[in-house]
Amino acid sequence: MRRRRLVEFNLLTGVVLGIVGFYVGWWLGHLVKAPSLDYFDDTGQNDIALFVAYFTGVVGFLVGLGFANYPVQRMLGKPPSLREKETEGIGRYFGLCTDHKVVGIQYLIGIGAFIFIGGLNAMLIRFELLRPTHLAWNGNNYLTLVGLHGTMMMGMMTSGILGPFANYFVPLMIGARRMAFPRIEALTFWLLMAAGTILMTALAFGGFPTGWTGYAPLSVQANMGMDAYIAFFALVGLSMTLLGLNMLATVITMRAPGLAWGRLPIFVWGTVSTSVLMLLAAPVLISTLFMLALDRTAQTGFFNDQAGGSPYLYENLFWIFGHPEVYILALPGMGIVLELLPVFSRKPLWGYRLAVTGLLGITLLSFLVWQHHLFVSGINADLRPFYMLSTELISLPTGFIFVCALGTLWAGRIRLTVPMLFALAWVFNFLIGGLSGVFLSDVPSDVTTHGSFFSMAHFHYTIMGGLVFAFFGAVYYWLPKMTGFELDERLGKLHFWVMFLAFNSTFGPLLVIGFLGMPRRVVTYAGYLQGANEWVSVSAFVLGASMLVFVANLVWSQVFARVPAGANPWGSKSIEFQLPSPVPVHDFDRIPTFGPDPYPYGGIEEAGFDGTRPAVSPARPTP
Amino acid sequence: MTEFAHPATDYGVVEEEPPALLERNLLIGSRLWASSLVFFFFAFLFAYFYLRSLNQHGLFQPKGVSPPQAWGAVVAVCLAASAVLLSWGAVDQRSERRGLWRLKGVGALALALVAVVAQVVAWSTLGFGPTDGGYASVYLGWTGLYTIFVVGSLYWLETCLALSFRYRDEPFGRAEVEPGDASGDDYREAPDIRNAVHLNTAELAALTFTWTTMAVIGVVTWVVLYLA
Repeated sequence: MRRRRLVEFNLLTGVVLGIVGFYVGWWLGHLVKAPSLDYFDDTGQNDIALFVAYFTGVVGFLVGLGFANYPVQRMLGKPPSLREKETEGIGRYFGLCTDHKVVGIQYLIGIGAFIFIGGLNAMLIRFELLRPTHLAWNGNNYLTLVGLHGTMMMGMMTSGILGPFANYFVPLMIGARRMAFPRIEALTFWLLMAAGTILMTALAFGGFPTGWTGYAPLSVQANMGMDAYIAFFALVGLSMTLLGLNMLATVITMRAPGLAWGRLPIFVWGTVSTSVLMLLAAPVLISTLFMLALDRTAQTGFFNDQAGGSPYLYENLFWIFGHPEVYILALPGMGIVLELLPVFSRKPLWGYRLAVTGLLGITLLSFLVWQHHLFVSGINADLRPFYMLSTELISLPTGFIFVCALGTLWAGRIRLTVPMLFALAWVFNFLIGGLSGVFLSDVPSDVTTHGSFFSMAHFHYTIMGGLVFAFFGAVYYWLPKMTGFELDERLGKLHFWVMFLAFNSTFGPLLVIGFLGMPRRVVTYAGYLQGANEWVSVSAFVLGASMLVFVANLVWSQVFARVPAGANPWGSKSIEFQLPSPVPVHDFDRIPTFGPDPYPYGGIEEAGFDGTRPAVSPARPTP
Repeated sequence: MTEFAHPATDYGVVEEEPPALLERNLLIGSRLWASSLVFFFFAFLFAYFYLRSLNQHGLFQPKGVSPPQAWGAVVAVCLAASAVLLSWGAVDQRSERRGLWRLKGVGALALALVAVVAQVVAWSTLGFGPTDGGYASVYLGWTGLYTIFVVGSLYWLETCLALSFRYRDEPFGRAEVEPGDASGDDYREAPDIRNAVHLNTAELAALTFTWTTMAVIGVVTWVVLYLA
């Protein structure tokens, strides 16, 4: 029997030590004296103290969770080990656990909670915009709401699919029993939870006025709430970097025999391409935020025009990260949709290699387009054609994905299940998002639409219409495998239709409102746009209500109804559905051997889905 | 819907993990981390050339803003020498001359510590401050973040040395580990590493790659900030 400690390392200890660490850091930070910090006495704004407090708070939180034990053991010469795994019990969800399936479920719940908060912010924003003048919030509070909504969503959703679904299913899909670095896998999740909490504290320090982009010089001059933004995104960046590294190492080294690169499930390819972007783009964000923190504390002049710096440097560096970030959000959605379509069309994925080329093409090109975000920032006019063309070139590999999606649907035996409905909605939404993006990549039209609601509607079509719809498709598809219980089909369809219609009713008109000249991040607007804004706000409230349908479905299906899902509720040929539900702790008794076809649909056996030609040679029978 | 047949799961028959898997993970992980490191400092390289080319109000590098050349050279040389010594030590470890590896490992650690101390001394003897223009900002930001990464890498080096000292009497290749010892999976039938010494070799190879990358970045830092 395991010996019980007086104080266990778990979430409760982590929270307590996190709070203690925060106040110790706050006190230590106030001890710092330097000539460049003289202004603190006048303003009471001590950014150094807050940064130190955030740092020590996060360290305390991680120590309380048990993340310091292993590094200390290693310093004393103990050999490397992955041994942190609790094999059963509810306690494993509230602490450091190295089971990739536990981490996947932790991500699903943790990220879901923060996204819910981000969604509530969106409701408050739309409430304010019911009137063209001030209704509930003043300008500063409105900007903070916009910033909290955008930052929370963009930060948390970077791991919205890789966190829950790639952590849970990629090891299964490649025939592995774990991730390459399980302790790092757990760390990425808890870093994200610390980050989300820190961002919420921005409200206690006056909020921040910059939106999710944090542009200088406003971000250099802003009050202490800006420090929460910096700490949040730096932690998210670190989490992303480590998540990408872990995913890539896992897929590179831990594929089962027979699983050549050309046989990987397309979702794994989506994960690989996203991970490359995470690994290489997120470090640029962290370094940029480090510079910003120095500007705010040590009074360096990276982004200060009067001190030999330039705010355009921030814009460049931010978008060197920021545009790949957009694809960090989009690529996993593409992977999921292409994974779902063959299952519910009963056909192999059409153009597998074309789809992989599309994913990798987007990955490469996403590093070469960042300056299109600066078209109206006074960049050298000679640079514009290159970035316009490179941006428009991205529509080529994106088109590959669409062709493969439509080719898979063509002449398929389509089943309109809830996951399939979400996958089809992705095709529709992302098409509108992509087409509206062409206008923003084109210099002449970008000059008039930049900074307007058109731009905002565009990226909501790509990110919410793309990623979030794919996310829900994945939830309905994989959650029965994760929990062992079905989700209610009727409530699921109700959720889908309300969400789909309300989403388009919200963001479709915003494209028009943007063309009519309504700017982003401004609390007031022209009176003639009130009718349209009221329509959009009401649609947004319905969109928000659709999430309540989902929550009701979740609670009803998983807590009350608890209808067993069985091992393979969708008749999928993917390997994870060949395993029992719930999946055993060690995934496979024997490492499986893969066959040549990752999507063996459409054969003779399709008549009854009897599984006589599985994509994987099943594990050897128990002796 | 018909379900696929699958074999019953018996927790008692989980087969062994290939002992080489942890090693491969470490080696691949170190290469991926090295690629990430490059992008951390790419941001500063970009900032340096961007601000230098703009030279706003002539404030990129005003007169009198120049780094301490001697200390910069000491930092770069110590880091490069440390990386060379560590690589050399890794060869010794692979060739089962583990006493020599430990000696060189301690030397590499000492040299890197000297580099960190020299950097701190350089900061304290600067003739300029953070408010003195674009160059001063880049210098302090770049060397500051770099030093943080060097200290982090030193921790890794220390763990390798500590493991080697702890198991200094353990012979190569003798399997004395419990089944599933490295992976923490109690259901494994066989060991998933050969022994701690063997893992030390793999970890040292991974560290050497990372440390060499750090040294290369250090030399680039020196060239850009001190010589360019």
